[in-house]
Amino acid sequence: MTALAIARNTFRECIRDKILYNLVLFALLMIVSSYALGQLSLGHENKVIVDVGLSAISIIGTLIAVFIGIGLVYKELEKRTVYALLSKPVRRGEFLFGKYLGLLLTLFVNVAVMSAGLLATLLLRGGVSWQECLSILPASYVMFLSLALTTSVALVFSTFSTPALSALFTLFLWIIGHYNSDLLSFAQMNAWGPVRGILRALYYLLPNLSNFTWVDSRSIIHSAGYYRPIDAVAIAWMTLYAVLYSGCLLALATWVFARRDFK
Amino acid sequence: MKPRRVLRTLASSVLALASASVLVAVQMRIDERLVDAAAGPDLLYFSSPAGVKKLALGYDSMLADIYWMRAIQYYGRRDLAERRPVRYKNLAGLLDIASSLDPDMMEIYRSGSTFLAEPDPVGAGQPQEAVNLLDKGIDRHPLEWRLQYDKGFIYFWHFKDFHEAGKVWLNAGRLPGAPDWMAGLAASTLSKGGAIETAKMLWRRQFEDSTRAELKENARNHLISIQADEERWTLEHFVEQFAARYGSFPRSLEDLVGAGMLHYVPRDPSGTPYRYDCITGEVFLSPETQITYFPAPEVYREAYRHKLSSLRDRREKPAK
Repeated sequence: MTALAIARNTFRECIRDKILYNLVLFALLMIVSSYALGQLSLGHENKVIVDVGLSAISIIGTLIAVFIGIGLVYKELEKRTVYALLSKPVRRGEFLFGKYLGLLLTLFVNVAVMSAGLLATLLLRGGVSWQECLSILPASYVMFLSLALTTSVALVFSTFSTPALSALFTLFLWIIGHYNSDLLSFAQMNAWGPVRGILRALYYLLPNLSNFTWVDSRSIIHSAGYYRPIDAVAIAWMTLYAVLYSGCLLALATWVFARRDFK
Repeated sequence: MKPRRVLRTLASSVLALASASVLVAVQMRIDERLVDAAAGPDLLYFSSPAGVKKLALGYDSMLADIYWMRAIQYYGRRDLAERRPVRYKNLAGLLDIASSLDPDMMEIYRSGSTFLAEPDPVGAGQPQEAVNLLDKGIDRHPLEWRLQYDKGFIYFWHFKDFHEAGKVWLNAGRLPGAPDWMAGLAASTLSKGGAIETAKMLWRRQFEDSTRAELKENARNHLISIQADEERWTLEHFVEQFAARYGSFPRSLEDLVGAGMLHYVPRDPSGTPYRYDCITGEVFLSPETQITYFPAPEVYREAYRHKLSSLRDRREKPAK
């Protein structure tokens, strides 16, 4: 219950944040501008709208996850509100979990609003059925999963580092996470056992964000652009991976945060 | 509000507006200076499709759209193309990257191959690159008969390789969803390769099926050019008949009407009279013609004249 109260407050704080509004407005503008871009694409107007819309949702969502996520704990420390909060019967783990849930709720609302904007753009433009429009929603959900994972990475760094460094580390991990499969390829190519082992360990250790980008050798956005259904089993595996990995990162963040001395 | 404050607000607004207009003027001057620089070197910063796909970080579908639109702009901006050392040097590269980023976008293969294959000034004049692009599409979509149809079209029209075109269309006709006329097209091409009838059928189909204005216009221009060629060759045929009958070429095309061979002298599809050379007996399009003319290959002319001769022989036979 305490975690939920913190989550509610974090959500309210995020909603009041002007940067957040600007980003949402920017995403909506991109979706609308994709309508104009579609005119240049010779017969692929709706596909361009879906591609630009979903990419905007993903990029803006990632920016929110990183730049709000890195300040989640740091801001509380800087404003010293954390002292008042932790002096009450609130465990540090609950505090972190509440903060995480609050940002997740913000991201969910953002993704939902942006997806609704995208669907509205498509329906207003015409040429697509309701069923085709709705087939885009699983892609939005997968993006949300990816954002949940990115937020947990940002949260871990936020517990022990400054916002600038946390942003840098999170963005590095985000990029590495997209090339994670290369580590496995390098491991398979490397004949020397220990190096192979290290590379393989890194592959499982680092967040694999390409899990949320590719399904059956096609990118999620690509499949959505052609209104191809995304395999429900694949989505279930992605959900499980996101929940487990985020859970591990939250546990790590709690462990680090619990050891911090606020004196 | 105090008058002084109103005055200050007014002065600030005037100043802001004046600055904005000066800013526009300054930007226009900068743009003028950059006219040549805007054309820039004809560079393709990333030439490896695999490399671009790797760098896309999962946004490959959006990048494919960007590359496709870049290819369209690259092809469509004729004023820029004129200033390049090689007009469409990077068109094939752009289409290759776009099709690697999104291998399912049929328009890249279909329209892209048209952009590449059509001769200058309509296209890049690179039919082999067009075949390569279509082969890439066929590799990815082996059951898509339209790609095979387009490939056969390039062999037929641009390479004049009627046998290969017929073979490709024969394969296309066997694919699921292929229209019935495909088999007829293949048979016609394989039996009397070079026949102008096949060419007319192809352009008519492209004219009827194309949803894009510029492709429709291109097909229309080809059909009009064939019509003009047929009329010219028919006139030349009668000129030869006139010469055979009277021992010399007619002095003007009107003489054919006088000799009872024609009811009237036709004009080209734009309504401009044909030019006639009474020394060689050849009929040309006038320089004042309004049609966008695409010259037909010599084999078409031979096939058409052969057809006219057979018609004449058939007509004369009962008289004998």
